Amino acid sequence: MNHQCHWTDVENIFLPREATIVCSEQATPSETHFTLKMADGQPIEYEPGQIVELSLFGYGEIPIGIASSPTRKNTFDLVVRSVGRVSGAVTKLGKGESVYVRGPLGHGFDLTKLRGHDVLIVAGGIGLCPTRSLIQYILDRRDEFDRFVLFYGAREPSLQLFTDDLARWRTANDVEYYETVDRGDPSWTGNVGVITTLFPQVELGPETRAVICGPPIFYRFVVRELDMIGIPRENVFVDLERRMKCGVGKCGHCQINDKYVCVDGPVFPFADVQGLEEAF
Amino acid sequence: MTASFIRSDDFAAFVTALIEAGPVYGPVAKRSRFAFERLETPEELRLDYDVTILPPKKLFFPPAQDLVTFDGAGFRAALEPTEKVLLGVHFYDVKAIDQTDLLFSERNYDINYMAHRETTTIVASNIQTVSKRAFFASVGADVEPQGHDAFLTAINGGYVLETRTERGEALLAFGAFQPATEAQIAEAAAVNVAALERCPEELEHGTEAIADKVRAAFQDEELWTTLAADCFSCGTCNTVCPTCYCFDVQDTWNVDQTSGQRTRFWDGCLTEDFAKCSLGEGACENFREERAARFRHRLMRKATYLNEKLGGPACVGCGRCSAGCTADIADPARVINQIMAS
Repeated sequence: MNHQCHWTDVENIFLPREATIVCSEQATPSETHFTLKMADGQPIEYEPGQIVELSLFGYGEIPIGIASSPTRKNTFDLVVRSVGRVSGAVTKLGKGESVYVRGPLGHGFDLTKLRGHDVLIVAGGIGLCPTRSLIQYILDRRDEFDRFVLFYGAREPSLQLFTDDLARWRTANDVEYYETVDRGDPSWTGNVGVITTLFPQVELGPETRAVICGPPIFYRFVVRELDMIGIPRENVFVDLERRMKCGVGKCGHCQINDKYVCVDGPVFPFADVQGLEEAF
Repeated sequence: MTASFIRSDDFAAFVTALIEAGPVYGPVAKRSRFAFERLETPEELRLDYDVTILPPKKLFFPPAQDLVTFDGAGFRAALEPTEKVLLGVHFYDVKAIDQTDLLFSERNYDINYMAHRETTTIVASNIQTVSKRAFFASVGADVEPQGHDAFLTAINGGYVLETRTERGEALLAFGAFQPATEAQIAEAAAVNVAALERCPEELEHGTEAIADKVRAAFQDEELWTTLAADCFSCGTCNTVCPTCYCFDVQDTWNVDQTSGQRTRFWDGCLTEDFAKCSLGEGACENFREERAARFRHRLMRKATYLNEKLGGPACVGCGRCSAGCTADIADPARVINQIMAS
C-alpha cells in the first residue's frame, strides 16, 4: 500500500478544537468581527495568510482566513460574513460562547520573500481580513521590512472593516495608507473610484513586493497596474478564495485546474497561477 | 510469497470458513447486474461478474461516512474500523484503490479512509466476463496493480491463489490449499493475459501523448461545449468512478435536536453547484458555471492533472461511467480518441 504510517498513530484531521469567543463586534451590517481564544489555553500556531475551518456542530464548517497576526499572542481574529447556514449561525453568537476550529491550514504568505523589501498590499472588500494578518505582522516587526504601502478599497464607507485600524493607519507614519470607495456618501471626503484609481497617487518601484486579495474581478486589474510599474510577477502574491470544504486537500471543491487552494494556497505567487485558466 | 491451488469442490468451504471468521465482502448478483455486498453464504459470491455497479471504494470511503458525532456532552471521532476480507476485486479496481490509497494518505493522512483500508484484506480475482464498455487493457497499461494481498485466478478444476502479503498468506489456513504446480501457475497467467485481449473498447494512444494533447485542448471552448452539449450535470460519471474521491461535508441533527453528526458524502464535480461560493446578499460566484467547464475538469483530472503524482492516468478503464451516463457522452475512451483524432 502507498502510505507511510499506520492509522492508529495519526490524529484525525477532521476533529476540531474548541475556541471561546472573547469579543464579538458587528463590523458592518453583514460582517461580525470575532476575537477567539483556544479553550484549552494552547494557542494555535500559524503564519499570516493561513486559514482555519470554523464550525458549529449541527450547522457545519466554513473556511475563514485568520485576520490577525501571530505576533499578537493568545487570541486570534476571524471576520465572518453572514451568507449561509454556518455563517448565519456563527454570527448570532456572542462573548463567552464556543465555536470550533480546525487548523491552521494551507500555505500563508512567504515572509522570506517579503522581508527586507518594500511591500505593497492591495486589499478589496473582505479581502482586508486575511491580509490584516500580514498588515499587523509588518507593523509589529516594522524594521524587518522597508517601505510599507497599503491600498484598501470598499464598496461604500459603511462597508469599511476594522474602522479603528483604518483611523490609526490614516495618520500613522509606519504605513502609507491609501483608501477608496466605489460609491461615496455625504460624509465621505476621501477618494471615490475603483482600487486602480489609487495607483497614480503614489510612486512605487519595480523592486516592490505586492500582495493582492479581493473579489474575483479585482486581480486582473490590479495585476495590470503592477505590470505597468514593472513589478515582476514572481514578486506578486495573490490570496485566493474558494469553497474549501475539507481544508486538507481531499474534497476537491477548491480546485483550480490541478491546484488545491486549501493546501497549495490560499496564498500563491502570481507566477504559479497566472497560467491556470480557472484561477481568475 | 507463494502460489497455491484449491479444487473447485473445496472452494465453497474456504469461503464459508472466511465468512465464519469475520465479515467478507464480494460481488453478488443484483438482478442482471452486480454489487459488492457482505456475503452471507458462499453461493452468493459471483466471481463470474463483469463489473459492479459501484466500485469497491465504498468499503473504505462510504457514500455517507460520519466523521464526527456530537451531543450535549461534546464531540468525538466516529471512526470504528473492523477487520474484513474483500474478495473478488478485478485488477482495474485494485489500480483504482492504489490511487485512492495514495490520495488519502499523502499530505494530510486521512484515517477516516486509511483505517478502513488498513483493516481490509483484499483478494483480487481474474476477469471471467468482460463488461461491454471496458477498456482496461489500453489505459495506463504500464501501471501494475499493487494494493492487494492475494490474487485468485480460476483455472480448469479450481483456483490458483497467489499471495502478495502476510495478510494474503494467512488466508491459506482457511482452505484446502496445496502448492500450485508450474503448469497451474502458467495456466493462471495465460487466463489473465487472455482477459486483456477481450476489451471491447480501447484507447488508441499512450498515456503521455494523451495527457499532452488533452491539456493543450483546454482552451478549445467549441470542443468542450460540443462534448458536453447533452450533459445533464447529474454526476453519475463521478458517482460510479473508482478513482473519484471528492466529497461534501454536512452536519445533521438527530431528532432530539441536541445530538447529530458531521458526515461526508460523495460529491461530483459535474454537478452544477460543486465550485459555487456564496458572496453574500444573494450573490454567488460559480468557478465552473458552464457544463463544458465541468465536463472538461473531469477529463483533465482523469487524463492529465494527476498523472505525475499517480504515475499514470486517473482512469482504469472499468467502463462504469460509459455505461452509467444517461446521454452516453462520458465514455473516456471515446472522448479521448476523438480529441486525439482532432
